[in-house]
Amino acid sequence: MIQLPIAHAGHWAVNLLYVLPLVVAVGALMTQSWRDKRHEKAEARADKPADAPPAR
Amino acid sequence: MQRRRLLVLLVLVAAGLAVALPEAALAHGIVGREDLPIPKWLFGWAATAVLVASFVGLAVLWPKPRLEAALERRLASVPKLLDPICGAIGIALFVLVLYAGFAGTQTTTSNLTPTFVFVIFWVGLAILSPLFGDVFAAFNPWRAIARAVAGVAALVSRDGLPAPLPYPERLGRWPAAIGILAFAWVELVYSGRGDPSNLAVLALAYAAVQFVGMSLYGIGAWNRYGDAFAVYYGLLARISPLRWERGALYVRRPLSGLTTLDPVPGTVALLCVLIGTTSFDGFQNGPVWGELSPRMTDAIAGLGVSQATALELAFTIGLLAAVLVVAGLYRLGVTGMQRESSDGMTATELARRFAHSLVPIALAYVVAHYFSLLAYEGQRIVYLASDPLGEGADIFGSAGAIVDYTWISATAIWYVQVIALVFGHIAGLILAHDRALAMFSDGRIATRSQYWMLAVMIAFTSLGLWLLSAANS
Repeated sequence: MIQLPIAHAGHWAVNLLYVLPLVVAVGALMTQSWRDKRHEKAEARADKPADAPPAR
Repeated sequence: MQRRRLLVLLVLVAAGLAVALPEAALAHGIVGREDLPIPKWLFGWAATAVLVASFVGLAVLWPKPRLEAALERRLASVPKLLDPICGAIGIALFVLVLYAGFAGTQTTTSNLTPTFVFVIFWVGLAILSPLFGDVFAAFNPWRAIARAVAGVAALVSRDGLPAPLPYPERLGRWPAAIGILAFAWVELVYSGRGDPSNLAVLALAYAAVQFVGMSLYGIGAWNRYGDAFAVYYGLLARISPLRWERGALYVRRPLSGLTTLDPVPGTVALLCVLIGTTSFDGFQNGPVWGELSPRMTDAIAGLGVSQATALELAFTIGLLAAVLVVAGLYRLGVTGMQRESSDGMTATELARRFAHSLVPIALAYVVAHYFSLLAYEGQRIVYLASDPLGEGADIFGSAGAIVDYTWISATAIWYVQVIALVFGHIAGLILAHDRALAMFSDGRIATRSQYWMLAVMIAFTSLGLWLLSAANS
């Protein structure tokens, strides 16, 4: 009888479930950080006074 | 919409795994099996949710530093005689531990020395310090002996004692970090740890090193930075709302004592040693190490050393690797924080400035990993107090006491462990958030810099819960 070599896969998968919240949280935090920076750049651009009057 | 779908998918996958995966069997079975309403790994998810919610709460409700400049007030006067009395008790206990170690029976559980050193001293004091302040400073036998000797020498000598050398700045808390690592090695790796006479010899050797350190650099400086146990319990005592000083008792906000921790070299190393060695204690009881260690031992034994030495070497490698993993995780978080803050500080400087946030985590790991040891093995002190040498004495009439393994259930212990881990990491988040507000001028940068510390806290919480679940399986 052929046995699939996944006898301990269930135990390893249980271990992975402890890492998953960290992976999700780090992903969410990195996305949020990127958004914050983009938002701050947009704000800085909007606050910056024009150096020269617009050309007519 | 896409995000909602992803969330639903994750929940479905998690629920499917919860139903499909086998529950771990309890191998040791001394105290029974936990009766939990949800799988253990789901506690990791819940803890992460609590940490994220706490982080958001801090960002919104804690806009100014509150712990950094917290004041303390004098609560009561304490008789000055208390200090020498406590010191004398500390010396008497130290002598008793040495005497029992050398003169008593060499059976681990029948001799006072192993239980006193590994349970009452190492775990009991670690739990007392954050509650009642630095009690060890008062009972520290090495400090008490040094003080008494210095007092007598000052009376006898006409010219007074020579001034101690200035404590080297670069040395910082490195002696303490090495001392704690050495103690952890004895506790977790050394094959002769259960032998009372070995422990007595090691205790004498440790005392000798402390006397040399104190005579070179002065009693105060050496106790602040060099004496591993004085530094360790002193760090944990900074969590406490109580601070003892000769003649007075002060009260302050809990955790605020940590904000005045001087970030000298070796502080981060000491905390990583504390968390890493406790992690290894959990890891070595799990199935991963159970599979790995025999292979490592065989490979080392193949180099020509004895099987016993190979086993110790394999465990030493595991112990050091655990410390390095913890140090790596913290460094990763600090490096991320440095990138976000753009404040010109090096990662090493930031690591030291935020090191105090690791202290409650170190405490959480100690409580989580050693609570059951204190709850069960700590009971041995009742009969050992009556018969410290294990030779049939019954001084207080309690020599017939036995260890009650039923007074607290395995489920209750699991909840204590989870609560300790979660609260310890929330305390770490609070300290890091408060320090970031004090350091960074812009509140937004302060919050963003803490994204990385939140990730570190979640990593340590998940690691702690995984280790506990593996150790109990």
